[in-house]
Amino acid sequence: MKQRLKESVCAAALCLMVVGAGALHAEESSVLQVGRVSGNGPITDISGPLWDGARSVKVPLQPQMVALPVNPNAATKEITVRSVHNGEWVAFLLEWQDASKSDVVVVDGFGDQVAVELPVDYKPDALPSPMMGDKGSHVNILQWRAVAQLEVDMGREVTIRDLYPNAPNADLYYTSRLPAEAAAPYRGAKGLGNPISERSGRPVLDMMAEGFSSLTVRPQQEATGRGVYRDGMWHVVITAPMVPVGDHAPRLEPGQGTAVAFAAWDGGNKEVGSRKAWSDWVTVSLAR
Amino acid sequence: MPKVMNWQIGREMEYPYEGKRPDAQFAMIIDTNKCISCQTCTVACKTTWTSGRGQEYMFWNNVETKPYGFYPLGWDVNILDRHGVQDVDGPVYKGKTLFENAPDGTVVLGYLPEDQDYAHPNISEDDSVGQLGKGAFLQMPHMQWMYYLPRICNHCTYPACLASCPRQSIYKRPEDGVVLIDQSRCRGYRECVRGCPYKKPFFNAVTRTSEKCVGCYPAIEQGRQTQCTMTCIGKIRLQGFISPPGKERADNPIDYLVRIAKVAKPLYPQFGLEPNVYYIPPTHVPPPYLRQMFGADVELAQKVYLTAEKDKRLLAALLLFGATPNILFGFKEQNGFAVGLDKQGKELVRVPFREPIFIRPGFDEKFQTHRSNAT
Repeated sequence: MKQRLKESVCAAALCLMVVGAGALHAEESSVLQVGRVSGNGPITDISGPLWDGARSVKVPLQPQMVALPVNPNAATKEITVRSVHNGEWVAFLLEWQDASKSDVVVVDGFGDQVAVELPVDYKPDALPSPMMGDKGSHVNILQWRAVAQLEVDMGREVTIRDLYPNAPNADLYYTSRLPAEAAAPYRGAKGLGNPISERSGRPVLDMMAEGFSSLTVRPQQEATGRGVYRDGMWHVVITAPMVPVGDHAPRLEPGQGTAVAFAAWDGGNKEVGSRKAWSDWVTVSLAR
Repeated sequence: MPKVMNWQIGREMEYPYEGKRPDAQFAMIIDTNKCISCQTCTVACKTTWTSGRGQEYMFWNNVETKPYGFYPLGWDVNILDRHGVQDVDGPVYKGKTLFENAPDGTVVLGYLPEDQDYAHPNISEDDSVGQLGKGAFLQMPHMQWMYYLPRICNHCTYPACLASCPRQSIYKRPEDGVVLIDQSRCRGYRECVRGCPYKKPFFNAVTRTSEKCVGCYPAIEQGRQTQCTMTCIGKIRLQGFISPPGKERADNPIDYLVRIAKVAKPLYPQFGLEPNVYYIPPTHVPPPYLRQMFGADVELAQKVYLTAEKDKRLLAALLLFGATPNILFGFKEQNGFAVGLDKQGKELVRVPFREPIFIRPGFDEKFQTHRSNAT
């Protein structure tokens, strides 16, 4: 285990060298301006006048080549990002090309995903590793998953017959005849309330990390969002409160700055976990 | 990468974590010569562990017909093909393990099965390697052959599933060596499904996490053998604990059969995982096929098994298969009986080498009637 830790530290050092390769295009603004909009509460519109004034930044993504297993043939090369806030909630609109909509998760089927990463304690000259932070330098990761979006859109959880339409339409399971508490041990990860398994009503998971292998779901889930696949592109908005409840999430204030990084997984390219495309930190400026 | 000692290949090898053996190591011996593929073990496991949603086609225990049966489809030939030709002869393995053969940027050589590979759990059941031609006769090994291979998770000393998991959601219990996936931590990346050459971690599409054989740990914590062992009608299995290399105990039936008598062999030892389910190889199958599956000394194991009647100690150990639901920590041969012992050396079970013969007279004096064979 110690050896693994040493390798992670080496990998984190290596990633600093890799960062240069992911620098923003010269012609693009290197600062993501977070415009102020009216209203309150979560911002989940993916289109409309809300976004008209928001300046977009094209963020290049690079294959994840540090943590094992690597992903040399990452499919997503670039994400277009816009951001606004209403004084209470901040939102990131992420748009990228994806040849296929992937939201069927079976053994060889992977879902599309995208994530926004924010340093928990923003220090401009001492940013955490953009690759999931460092020990003692935490990051907040807000991950949108296409399969969770599908469940939100359907208003119910994915069933066996959604995945395998010819499966028998019969209740073969004694767990459905047991009270919830008694059935829990027979429901695997669902019985334990694993957020990957449970339908939560939100397509976004609010998590924290302090390096590879440390991604952990925060107890308080507030972040949410919405994703729509249209014309070969995903349009996903991820929104979070600027003053979050609990630890391990940043407190954002109008007029201040922070940094943001992004990651994308193309399910059609069997990308999941460390098999992803990631970006370097992008400087963020929040309007007053 | 640290070097660890793998006794099954007779040398050190690379593994992502340091080599620390558990206090006790789960082990099982399966006698392939006695398996009739009745699937009682499969059903016992299924009803105990995998009757939930998303587990419809998931079998932690399965029995497949070799060489053409697979679950999932082609699991061993697929990884053998990727692994390439390796030299398995000799006491020290000269080829590469799956860890040493890992492509750049990965932990272990593996592959992800397709969803439909799980759709036919008992494909090629009873298929033989070929048809018997004119003039065929019975000989050893058989001209045409097949045999049954019951499989569970091998609870490897160096698990590839554990090494593959980037979240470190898989752990090996120090108290018994059972390998488990933490269901509250797994995010369903399926790196374990890719990495395990035996394809014994399974993806559950309803929970969206990977699940695997738990070695019936609630049972073994109580000193009871696993469901697949206890329910086996042919008494072909023995489950217990194997001692670390160099610390074998001749009175531990698992140690005796695996390390001393060398009659039970690991499954694909060349993969380098040090699997802990051991097989008594089928005696009727040509050794060239078995060598790639069970390692170099497979012919010796066949020979030892075929002459077991001359070795009282070996016979005693073999007679204790399926003789008790309790885990045996010791055994002895005593006056024509095989005696199984618990951890404290107390007798748990006694099995006669020869069952006593009772002769019933043809005429029943009590009822004043003739008996007939009513079968």
